Amino acid sequence: MRRLGDLEAEIMDRLWTWNRPATVREIVDDINKTRPVAYTTVMTVTNILYTKGWLLRGKHGRAWLYTPVRSREAYAAALMEDGLGESKDRPAALVAFVENMDEEEIAALRKALRNVSRQAKEVQ
Amino acid sequence: MNAAPALAGYTAVVGFAAPRLLLRAAWPHRAPALAAAVWHALAVSFSIAAALTAYSLAVPAEHLHAGLVGLLHTCGLNVGTGQPDPDTADRLAVGVPAAIGIALVASFAFHVVRARRARTQHREAVDLVGRHSAHLCATVLPYDTPAAYCLPGRRPRIVISDAAVRRLTPEQLGSVLEHEQAHIAGRHHLVLAAAETFHSVFRWVPLARHAREQTALLLEMIADDRALRSHSHEALATAMYEMAAARTPKGALAAGGQSVLIRLNRVLGPRKAPHPALWGSVAAAAAAVPLLPLLVACPPGLG
Repeated sequence: MRRLGDLEAEIMDRLWTWNRPATVREIVDDINKTRPVAYTTVMTVTNILYTKGWLLRGKHGRAWLYTPVRSREAYAAALMEDGLGESKDRPAALVAFVENMDEEEIAALRKALRNVSRQAKEVQ
Repeated sequence: MNAAPALAGYTAVVGFAAPRLLLRAAWPHRAPALAAAVWHALAVSFSIAAALTAYSLAVPAEHLHAGLVGLLHTCGLNVGTGQPDPDTADRLAVGVPAAIGIALVASFAFHVVRARRARTQHREAVDLVGRHSAHLCATVLPYDTPAAYCLPGRRPRIVISDAAVRRLTPEQLGSVLEHEQAHIAGRHHLVLAAAETFHSVFRWVPLARHAREQTALLLEMIADDRALRSHSHEALATAMYEMAAARTPKGALAAGGQSVLIRLNRVLGPRKAPHPALWGSVAAAAAAVPLLPLLVACPPGLG
């Protein structure tokens, strides 16, 4: 069985790709091109996304039109900065590959790397 | 005989002198896993010694109390309570060590739960925003700086920016992913949480501060070593440099950048595992250190 999160991702993916407000019907029709899914399921999950604060909605005639609150890139940047420890209120939950460094430290890194590649050439 | 002075002395040595000694040693960076074990053994030893010190300080309080009341009594003064209350001293003798134990356990649980909640929230968002790459076994986020981090736990994720995928060679990318995989497989977040816990309870002790800093650095070295098993030194070092250089300065304070330099020099430098004899004796010492305070408290000779 597919998880709820997968359907959430499918819905967000379509709204980000289309880059315009869309109805649940449009989303269902698009997903149905690849696999069958019930209208009510998509409606429920879209509503969950709305209550979680991922989507905005506005009434258009009788149907709700949904749009992502922020672009995929904006969310990704916020997540990356959180993961890399650049946001202020980050518990030590995530481990970044390297931490922030200043100019001097980067210069020292570059020097260390250059020394080694020179030595490697001399050996060859 | 009361062991309080000996225990207090031992606690001070472990808390204040031992970290200085360990920081000056050369072998920890050559055997990072062993060194991390030694830091944790010292932390356990310190906690037990502190609890036993509190216990032995509370026990003579009873004798002192009895002596004081007895003295007043012979002087003709009748103190209201008459009999000294041995219960108070007993309660103190059990209560203070118990409080230290409870504080450590509760703080560890708090750290683990809080971190898990933050990671779960983060993971759900990453799953929505990112695209999972079955080929890389990682989630790729659109972000214009090469960067990577991992979300350890029961449902782990490695998160990597699309800039890293584009700009790093497959070999470099592989070394980064292997490094993050090592953090996840080694459950490094729990080791880090233990160091964090010890620091939050004994904040003013140098051992706590150094143990936390060194544990973080040593865990990175362990992950580096794991990546080096299947990838070249140049690939890992270059990937490290590329990512560190791309992330400079964002206005924020650059803290702990020194550790990347230490790691890079270590990855590139000559690598020599410590002599087996040294390794063995350090490992034996690490195993024995948590038991030492018990030996100090009840010297077998004085049984």
